[in-house]
This record gives sequence, C-alpha cells and structure tokens, in this order.
Amino acid sequence: MEFVQNFPFICIILSLFSGPLSSILDRKKAKWVNITVITAIGAMNVAVLQFVIRTGEAYVYRMGHFSAPWGNEIRVGVLEAVMAVFFCVIMLLSMIGGSLERERELEPSKENLYYIMVNLLLSSLLALIYTNDLFTAYVFVEINTISACGLIMIKQNGRTIVGATRYMIMSLLGSGMLLLGICFLYGITGHLLMSNIQEIVRKIYSVGQYRMPLLVALGLMSVGLAIKSALYPFHGWLPDAYGYSTVSSAAILSSLVSKGYIFLLIKIFSRVIGFDIVRDSRVVNVLFVFGIVGMIMGSVDAIRESNVRRMIAYSSVAQIGYIYMGLGLGTTAGVIASLFHIISHAATKSLLFVAASGLTDASNDSTDFFDLTGAGYRNKLAGVAFTVGSLSMVGIPACAGFISKLLFAQASVEAVHKLLPALIALAVSTVLNAVYFMKTVIRIYTPEKKEVLAAKQFTPAHMSDQKAKSVAMICFIALNLLLGLKSEPIVELLQSGLQMFA
Amino acid sequence: MDAIMILAVFLPVLSGTLLLLSLTAKKRSGRACEKPGREELRSLHLAVAAALVLSAAAALLAAWSGERSLTLFELMKGIPVFFRIDDVSRLFVTLISVVWVVIGFYSFVYMEHEGKETRFFGFYLIVYGVLVALCFSGNLVTLYMCYEIMTLTSMPMVLHNGSREAIMAALKYLFYSMCGAYLGLFGIFFLYQYCDTLTFTPGGSLNLALASGHTGILYVAIFGMLIGFGAKAGMFPLHAWLPAAHPVAPSPASAVLSGIIAKAGVLAIIRVVFFVVGPDFIRGTWVQTAWMSLALLTVFMGSMMAFREKVFKKRLAYSTVSQVSYVLFGLSVLSQTGMTGALLHVVFHAVIKCALFSTAGIFIYRFGKTRVEELYGIGKQMPKTLWCYTFAALALIGIPPTSGFVSKWYLAQGALEAKVGVFGWLGPAVLLISALLTAGYLLPVTTNGFFPGNKVDAASLKKQEAPGGMLIPLAILAGLAVLFGLFPNPLIQFAGKIASAVL
Amino acid sequence: MNAAMLVLVVLLPILAGVLIPVLPFGSRRQMMVYIEGVVLLDSALTISLLIAQPQDAFELFRFASNLSISFRLDGLGTVFAGIVSVLWPLATLYAFEYMEHEGHEKIFFAFYTVTYGVTLGIALAEDVVTMYCFYELLTLVTLPLILHTLTREAVLASRTYLYYSLGGAAFAFVGMIFILSYGTTSNFVPGGVLDLAKIGDRTNLLLLIYVLCFMGFSVKAAMWPFSGWLPKAGVAPTPVTALLHAVAVVKAGAFTTMRITYYSFGAEFLRGTWAQAVVMIPVIFTIVYGCSRALKETHLKRRLAWSTVSNLSYILFGVVLMSPLGLVGALCHMIFHATMKICSFFCAGAVICKTGREYIHQLDGFGRRMPKVFAAFTVSGLALMGVPGLCGFVSKWNLVKAAVADGSTLAYLGIASLMISALLTAIYMLTISVRAFFPAKGFDDASIADVRDPGWKMLLPLAVFVAAMFLFGLHPEPILVRLQAVAALVG
Repeated sequence: MEFVQNFPFICIILSLFSGPLSSILDRKKAKWVNITVITAIGAMNVAVLQFVIRTGEAYVYRMGHFSAPWGNEIRVGVLEAVMAVFFCVIMLLSMIGGSLERERELEPSKENLYYIMVNLLLSSLLALIYTNDLFTAYVFVEINTISACGLIMIKQNGRTIVGATRYMIMSLLGSGMLLLGICFLYGITGHLLMSNIQEIVRKIYSVGQYRMPLLVALGLMSVGLAIKSALYPFHGWLPDAYGYSTVSSAAILSSLVSKGYIFLLIKIFSRVIGFDIVRDSRVVNVLFVFGIVGMIMGSVDAIRESNVRRMIAYSSVAQIGYIYMGLGLGTTAGVIASLFHIISHAATKSLLFVAASGLTDASNDSTDFFDLTGAGYRNKLAGVAFTVGSLSMVGIPACAGFISKLLFAQASVEAVHKLLPALIALAVSTVLNAVYFMKTVIRIYTPEKKEVLAAKQFTPAHMSDQKAKSVAMICFIALNLLLGLKSEPIVELLQSGLQMFA
Repeated sequence: MDAIMILAVFLPVLSGTLLLLSLTAKKRSGRACEKPGREELRSLHLAVAAALVLSAAAALLAAWSGERSLTLFELMKGIPVFFRIDDVSRLFVTLISVVWVVIGFYSFVYMEHEGKETRFFGFYLIVYGVLVALCFSGNLVTLYMCYEIMTLTSMPMVLHNGSREAIMAALKYLFYSMCGAYLGLFGIFFLYQYCDTLTFTPGGSLNLALASGHTGILYVAIFGMLIGFGAKAGMFPLHAWLPAAHPVAPSPASAVLSGIIAKAGVLAIIRVVFFVVGPDFIRGTWVQTAWMSLALLTVFMGSMMAFREKVFKKRLAYSTVSQVSYVLFGLSVLSQTGMTGALLHVVFHAVIKCALFSTAGIFIYRFGKTRVEELYGIGKQMPKTLWCYTFAALALIGIPPTSGFVSKWYLAQGALEAKVGVFGWLGPAVLLISALLTAGYLLPVTTNGFFPGNKVDAASLKKQEAPGGMLIPLAILAGLAVLFGLFPNPLIQFAGKIASAVL
Repeated sequence: MNAAMLVLVVLLPILAGVLIPVLPFGSRRQMMVYIEGVVLLDSALTISLLIAQPQDAFELFRFASNLSISFRLDGLGTVFAGIVSVLWPLATLYAFEYMEHEGHEKIFFAFYTVTYGVTLGIALAEDVVTMYCFYELLTLVTLPLILHTLTREAVLASRTYLYYSLGGAAFAFVGMIFILSYGTTSNFVPGGVLDLAKIGDRTNLLLLIYVLCFMGFSVKAAMWPFSGWLPKAGVAPTPVTALLHAVAVVKAGAFTTMRITYYSFGAEFLRGTWAQAVVMIPVIFTIVYGCSRALKETHLKRRLAWSTVSNLSYILFGVVLMSPLGLVGALCHMIFHATMKICSFFCAGAVICKTGREYIHQLDGFGRRMPKVFAAFTVSGLALMGVPGLCGFVSKWNLVKAAVADGSTLAYLGIASLMISALLTAIYMLTISVRAFFPAKGFDDASIADVRDPGWKMLLPLAVFVAAMFLFGLHPEPILVRLQAVAALVG
C-alpha cells in the first residue's frame, strides 16, 4: 500500500473539513484557503492519476480496513482520477473567474459561507466519483444538493430564491427516487457495496429472477439522477438557478454538479447493474429519446431567450441532452463520448459563464441581449473568450466541442438502429447552437450606435482591472483549445479508465 | 487559308467595327452631339458603299469560284469553326449580297431622316459579314455561332431611333431570337451525340444505330430546333417579335430583317433538317406533322393579322410572318418539288418584301405617314413609287407572270405530290386562302393610292416623287420581282439541283 | 519541390494576414505593397507547386489517430488552387482602389488575406477531415468580411450566412463521419474510398447520408433551398462579393461536393441510385430558380448574386451527373464561371464605387461614360449566356455533352433547364448592357456627367478577365485536356 493510495480519501476529508475552517476565517483568508485547498486536492488527484496509470489497474481502498459488507469502500481507477482532476481544475478556474462578482454580489458576511458550500460541494463530488458504496453515494448526493442550493441562493435576489426552491424540490424528488431505487436493489441483493451488488445482480439476472423489480430499480435511479441533472423535460429549475445566481455558482453548477450525477449514473450502469443488463433493459432507449429531445428543445428554448445568462443555461439543457444521447446509444463508444462531453462541456460552459459575466460587466451589468451590442469591443478578452466558447459549442474544429461532436457521431455510427436519429439530431442541434451562439457573437461585435453609447455610459473593462477573471478566461480558452487539438491522450485515458471501471 | 473567304467575312465586320470605333473616337474629342456635316456624310457614304461593294464582290467571288472550304480554328476538339461553300450557301450568299447592297444604297438617303448614320452603317456592315459567315458555315456549331452573333449585332439596328418602344422591341427581338437559339442549341447537343458529324452532309449524318433507343428525345430535340430556328423565321409560336420590331426599326432595317434575317432562320432549318438530321428520319413522324401544322397555322394567322392591321409596316411584318411560313411549309412536306418551291420563295420573298418595306420607308421619309388610311391619294403624289409597290404586291400575291406565282405553284405541287395525308390538300388550300388575304391587305394601298375617291382633295396633291437614291433601289427590287417570274428557269433548275441532292 | 511547401502556401497568407492589424505601416501605400507582395509571393509559390506537382502528402498536425490535418496536391486540387491563386492577386489589386472609401482597411485586408490561405487549404486538403476543418474555418474568416460595413443589413446578412453555412457544415459533418467509418481511408482517392464489404446491406442508409452530406456542402454553393444567403451577402464590399461570393467561397462549396462525390463516396457507387436523382432535382431547379430571381432583381449586385446561384448549380449539375464527363463539365464551368462572374462583379463594383449607383434603372447611358467597364460587362454577359467564342459556351457544351451521354430523363431536364437559364441570363444581362449603351431617347447626358471609367487598378483586372474569356472561349483545348486527365481517374 502506497501513500498515494490514501489521497482520494484524504481529499474528501480535507475538503469536508476545510469548510468549517473557512467559516471562522475572514473572507479574504477564507478565499485563499479555499483556493489552496482546491489546488491541493487537484494536485493530489494528479498524483493518484499518475499512480493508477502506472499500476495500470484500479484499487479498492477500504475505510478502516473493514471489509464488506460492513466496511465502506473507495474504488480508484483511471477514469475516476481523470474526472476528479478535471473537476478540480474547473472548480478552481470557476472560483477564480467569479471572485470579483462574489465580492460585489454577496453580502460580505456571507462570503465565508459560500466557501463552505463550495468545499462541501467539492467533497461530495469527489465522494460521488470515488465511492464504491451506493448508500454513501446517496448521502453525498444529498450533501451535494444542499450545498448547491446554498450556492444558488446566496446571491439574494428574489429570483435566486425561487430558483433555489425549485431546484430543491426537483432535486429532492430526484434523490427520493434514487433512494427508492437503492432500497429496491438492497432488497433484492442485500448489499450496498457496488461490486457485491453487481455480483448478485448478475447471478439473479442469469437465472431470470427479479426482472421486474430490477427494471423498476434501474428506472427509478435513472429517472432520479436524470431529474437531478436536468434532463429535458425535468429542466424547469435550471434557467433560473443558473441564470441569476452568481457567476461562479452558475459555472460550477452547470459544469460540475449535474455532471457529478451523470457520472454516478454511469457508475450505476456499469458497476452496479452491469452495462449489458442495462442495455437489454431498454432504459437506455428511453434516455436516448429524452436526450435527443433535450438536444433540440434546449436549443429552441435558448434561441427564444433574450437574457444571455439564461440562454447559456438553456444551452446546458441541450448539452445534457447530448450526454444522455451518448449514454442512450448503449455502446462503449457512446459512453466514452458522453464522458468526454462531460469534460468538454464543463470546460466550455464555465468559460461561457465567465465570459458572459465579463461582457455584462462592460454593459452596466445588463444581461439583456441588446445591451450587449458592441460589448466585445468594451471587454476584449471576454469577447474573445465568449467567441471561443461559442465556437466550441457549435463544434468548430480545433475547439473542444468539435471532438465531442465527432466522438458522438462516431459512436452513433456504430449503433446501427439509433444512427439516423442521433446523427440528424446532432446536425440539427449544431445548427440551432449556431443560431443562438453565433447570433450573440455577432451582436457583441456589432458596434453600438453613438447616441446609445452616450446615453448608457458603459464602462469598458480592461484586463488589468480584473486580473483574476482574465487569468481564468485565458486558462479556460487554453483548456478548450487543448481539448480540441490534443484530445487523443484524454480519450485514451477515458477508454482505459472505462475498461478498468467495470 | 482561303483569302477570299476570309475577306468576304471579315472585311465588312472590320470596316463596320472601325466605323463604330470612329464614333467613340469622335466622342472623346467632344463632338458627339454635333450633326455630321455634308462633307462628312458624303465621305461616310463613300466608305460604306466601297466596303459593301467590295465585300459583296468578295462574297460572290468566293461563292461562285468552285469548291472552297476553310477551317478557321478549333473551338474545341472535334468542333472546328469551319466554312464550306455548297449550293445552298451560293444561293443564300448571292441573294443576301444583292439585296444588302441595294438596300444599302437605299438607306444612304433614307437614313438622313433617322440620323446616327455612322452607328447604323457600322452595324449594317457587321451584320452583313456575319450573314455571309452564316451562309458559309460548314457545320452546325459554326452556324449556331454566327446565328447568335447575328442576333446580337442586328439588335442595335432595331433600336436605332432610341425611343422606348424601339428599345423594348429590340429586347423582344433579342429574347425571342435567343430563346429560339437556345432551343436550337438544345437540339445541337443531341445531334452532336447521335450524329456522325455535325459537318453538313447532304441527306444528313444521323447515326441510326447510335440513336436507336433515343429516338424519342431526338424527336423532341429536333422539334425544338424547328421551333427555335423558326423563331427567326417568324413561325408560330415564337413569331411575336416581328410585328413589334418592324414598325420601330428604320425602314431599311425592317426590310433586311424581313427579307434576309428571317431567312437566316430558314437557312438554319434547311441545314438542320436536310444536312444534319436527314429528312428520312422525320418523315412521317409527329415532328413532321407538327411542323406542317405550325407552318400552315402561321401562314393563315399571319395573313389574317396582316389583313386586320392598320399600321403599314406592321401589316408588312405580319405578311412576312405568313410568307416565310410558306417557305417552311414547302420544306416541311419533305418533297423535292416542295423544297424547290421553298427555295424559290426564299429568293422571291426576300426581293419582294424588301421592295415593299422600301416603299413604306419612302412614305415615312417623305410624309411621315405610317398608317394605311393615311395613304389615300398617295399615288397622285408619287406614282412611280406606288407602281413599284404594286408590282411587288402582285408578285407576293402570286399573280402570273410575276415571281410569286412560280414559287407558289411549286409549293402547292410539292404538297400535293408528297404523301402527307390530309396536308396534301389542306396545304394548297391554306396557301390559296392566304394568297387571297394577301391580295386583300396589299392591294387596297394601291387602289386607294391611285383612286382616293372623295377621301382627299385630289387637286391639293402635288407630285412629290421619291428621291432617286431611294427610287432606283426600289425599282431594281420591284423589277427583279417581276423578272424572276418571267425568267424563272435558271433559278428553278438551281433550286431543283439543291433539292435533288438532299431528298 | 518539397511537400512542405504545401503547408507553407496555406499558412503564409494566414499568418501574414493575422499580422496586418499588428504591423506598424507608415502609410497606406506600404500596407498595399506588403499585402500585394504577400499575395503575389504566395500565388507564385502556389503556381510553382502546381507546376512541380509534388506527389507526397504532408501531415501538419494530428488530432487523433484517424484525424489529421494533412495536405496533398492532386488534379482536382490543382484546378481549384489554380483558379484561386491566379484570381487573388488581381482581386487584391482591385480591392485597393475599391476599399479606399470603405474604411477599416486593416481589418478588412487581414481577413481577406487569411481567407486566401484558408481557401488554398480546402484546395490542397488531403483528406476529408482537413477539408472539413478548413471549410468551417472559411465560414468564420469570411464572416467579418460580410459584416464589414456593420450596418443593420450587414449584420443580418452575416447572420444568415453563418446559420446557413454552419448548418450545412453540420450535415456535411455527418457525411464525414460516415466516410471515416465506412471508408478504407479518409484520404481522397479518385473513385471513392468506401469499403463495400463493411457497408453490407446498408447501401440505402449510406445513400441517404450522401444526400445529407451533399446538401450540406452545397449550402456554400448556394443550392436551392439554401441559396438565400448569397444575395443577402451582397452587402459586403464588392471585392468580397466578387472574389468570395463568386469564386472562393462558393466554389469551395462546389469543390467540396466534387470531393465527396468523386473522391470519397465514389461516382460508381452513386450513379443511377435514387440518391443521384434526389440531389439532381434541386440542382436542376436551382439553375432556373436562380436565373428567374436574378431577372426580378433590380439591384445590380444582387442580380449578379442570383446569377451566381444559378451558375453554381451548373457546376453542381456536372457534379451530380457522376460521370467523368460531368466532372469535366463541372470543372470547366468552375474555372470559366470564375472568370466571367468576377469580371461582371468588378464592373458592378466599379460602378458602385465610382458613382454610387446601385440599381439597374440608374445605369441609363453609362455605357457612353464608362465604355471600358461596360464593354467588359457586356462581354461577361455574353460569356455567361454562352455565346460561342466566349468561354461560357465551352463549359456549357461540356456539361450538356455529359448530360446527353448520361441519357436519363433527369439529365435531359437538366439540359432543358440549362437552356432556359441561358435565355434568362440573356435577358437579365443584356437588358443592362442595352440600357447602358442605348439610353432611351431624350436621355439627359448631364445627369451622368460625373461618371467616368475608373483607374488602372480596376481596369487592369477587367482587361485580364476579358482577355481570358476570349482566350478560353477560342482555345480551351489545353485546359480541357488537363481536366479530362483529372476526370479520367475518377470514373
């Protein structure tokens, strides 16, 4: 047992306990603690990743060396480590990028609380990634929900409270269904540890028992997590929650929280039930259909939206649709595409949220589409960042989005029966993405009329005034291009990780 | 390289182009608006006359000095721009050259009335060159090329006076012709595929083995070509440009449009049907039936419209519509006699119609009278002119011993001879009715001109004969119209020779 | 000649263009010299490449194991690269005189020059991925050129352009994926790369994908029903409309359809299938539709744009005949239409730039004041109509020859549509010439006293194009022979 193997556990605990720590510090210090912790966790996960790549196999880490069925386990493979590293990076950049807004928008006394929530969120995400125990997963799902609510409503304007409440209700509904599903599984198999459950499930499946309860359990868990990750049509809570919360919350929520649930779902599919069984159960087909509908409808909603933040939020609905579509294909390639899209979408969407905040900064904090006219000139870097993000969303080569589109398409070619709807949806959704994103890009590069400019008195934003945000944007852009140009190693990691995973 | 042929084609084109260029040079020196002086006009006339006569001489020399052929260059591989002289070219070149020179002299005087002489004669010369090239064309693509260029270069002659109607009429002329040309081109593409060669071969060069299985589309294509090239010849349904273009164009332009350029359509049809496709391919098919029906319909319709028309030049234009379709009908029956008649009628109608239009031009030149009812008593004012007109009119009606009788005789006989079912008697009947109508619309001008009755005060009419420069060409044309009727034999033999070679 | 040169000619204009806004030019003249120098150098390099014909490929970059950006020169690419590299320096020269009045020159020329590199990238792409990438890039770098004037119209036009193009690319993407999955290689191979064993009984599916892919790429070639963007994009400065919307961008669309038809899916596989019919119908329709819209249009540049729509479908018609003959016709028209249309656009540009008149009814009598420009315009009009002796006839001849040889009813319909379109072309082009040269009686010459032929920078390209139209029209054989050699491989 090497020391590195402890890191996942340490990460979760560190994150969990740095929360209370930041509550007693003042906000400046709390911020630094928070950033340090995230960086440290990221670094540790990198070490873990290196370790698992080196050993080439996953390892199980038993808490307190209690073995199943009493003990609680962490299971670490390449896929988990990649995801963890990646979540940390996004989290870090989002926090940096949104620091200015937090200072401005949150009550000073509450800023520490924000860091508590972020730390809790991170720990729960890491736990969701690493845990090998269904019930632990459930617990952290709840923690995740609560902290996410906190992140939404901490910026107090009526909208966020409504949004948070909606989110809470929908999320709890989802968690409830997840819990029911877990109960079913426990009832059938008598286990909570994933590997044990799978063993039993395979056994009873091969003899043909409990087909229906198994299907119900699977369905409950899928729907529960789908609700939580805002799969269309369960996305009603999302635009408000993302659209009005402070920018780092929006970035984190859209790129990480929902992705954590999806990762959990993938985990349940491949580690708890077994992917072949899931595929046979046709639940994937349902996900596929809803994924496709989401891809289209999310974009349609986004086109109708004139508030740029809400537009980006709706775009998330569409992107979640992509991910479920990939899962719904029911092939390994589809899952890999989905996993890659989790990463690329996270990188892109947080970039867009941060860039949009940069643009609104330069437009008297208005998020209205028309007020953004010419904003690309007033905040140059944000303009560029927004353009890159949009291009990536549309799937222009050299951006991250292109690779995920490519992976999705290639995956769907393999799934013969779902090929046509998948490809056409992909193409149509690209068009729709282009419609609203490129419309915005053109808008921000259309110079405003002189009289309007004189009336509105916009303050141009310079890079030097908002160093943190600029750094975050540059890093995001770099990340995006990196994913777009050098995707191969990451895809390979995901592939080997997925092999190790199941 | 055959210098004479090149000279015949390019001398008029170049001299015409030079004339037009001199116009821009003049514009640059800022004298564009000035009216040309007497001296200037004389030198212009001299230059044009010299160019015309020289090129006509070259053309005739080229035509009548034995077999000649000339490949100018290869447009594409296997598609040369190729000139060759055969009997059809000889006939047409001679006709065109004579008429063109005569009308050219006529227009020296007439164009004083219209102005912008330089421009007119520039295009007049160019069109002549192009027409000669058209007659010399040795394959279908060359013919098509000349045909298009002819349309383009003759268009400015129509819009000469620059009025809005003239421009619209010119555009109408242009687009009808283009429409026809493209229908023709459509067919050329198919013939290129299914013929051994596009070079004119008496009797056609359609490769029946290659074409088998594609005859349906070939018929369509050939029919398209008939309609298309028929546009220039004023055949229904693309005839409408004629009555629009003629009244607005200067009279010499109308004369050659009717007399010569409409014949270019006929020439194209002769070339397509008898020298590329071969008459046997369409004999007895729906194409022939449709062609005959259209020709007869046009004959009848043109006469009817002419009969009802009150504007003199427009009446003549409708008459052209009708008369050129005589020719087409003669060709469409696909018999030797019919074709002989058609070729004769080509010649006769050209001469006659030029004479008629020249008369109309004289009326306009002298009195500005354009409508038929204004012409009462005109015979008192210019008896010689009206006599010339009358002879030409009689010839067109076909009263023996004038030329029209000869050609119509052959046409009718051709129709009767050919085994074309109902058209064998329907054709001659329509021709007869149309002849009656022709008399009905041409002769009243004579009768009312000489015997105005009490419509005008005869005493007030002074004798105002047309100037010699116009009267002499008119007299020549009218004289030819009669003379051909008296001594038709050489021409009949020549036409018969052509017909027997292809049928 | 080293294959690395292939990358150089693509990257040189891109880099040089990016540098334009950054470089401190002392004067406008210096900038002009720099740009023209770069463009000329690149054209010279390209043409020397085309002459040397290096056979090896050069891989610039690799996305993933089967996705790479690599370049190779082949016959088809030679044709397109040849057109572009000859026209670009001339168009740039023209743009100098034109853009004097438009402002924002640096930005304009930056994108203008970058576009050169991107277009060459499409021409020289070795595989479908590279082509797709440059195709997308082309959309993006030409977008600012349409936006240039930043008027409301321009913004709307650029938006439309973007939606159409990206939308088209999205469907083209689907096709690309299929080629990647079902092809033996993603490279372009004459005759296609489909692995028939892999396809099995999925022929229909693949044909459907071909249709989608063709439609996708043909958006840039402005095929109905995706033609709306092109006339709208006429708000761009004329050098853009002339070079990009008559040549580079739209021809790139046609070029890509050739690539996927003859070099990826393979004409053999497609010929005679329902897919051929499905793509041929809109093509034939567009030929007539574009012309009739042109006829209705009273705005000079938009009329020319609609004419482009129609003429591009001539090219596409050649492509969808799916025979070597058809490819010859298509390539031929690609070259010749480039010459004709750029010439007519330059004439329109000269009119707009020198006199500010944009509508056709304002052009009465212009032929007297701008005889050179309108002479060139008339020649290009005649060439577009297909008068023998000018280049338009040659390409039309070849297209129709292919169609007649094809022998199907649709091909015959196509011929008919070509003829109708020629007639309509005659109408919409010649009415302008007639108006210009023969103004109606009583026309007041004083009203156009300010009108005058432009300077040599505008006239030189015109003269070159007119000469080219005659040359190609009278002596097309050398070009045709080369095109036939290219096409012979794909059958």
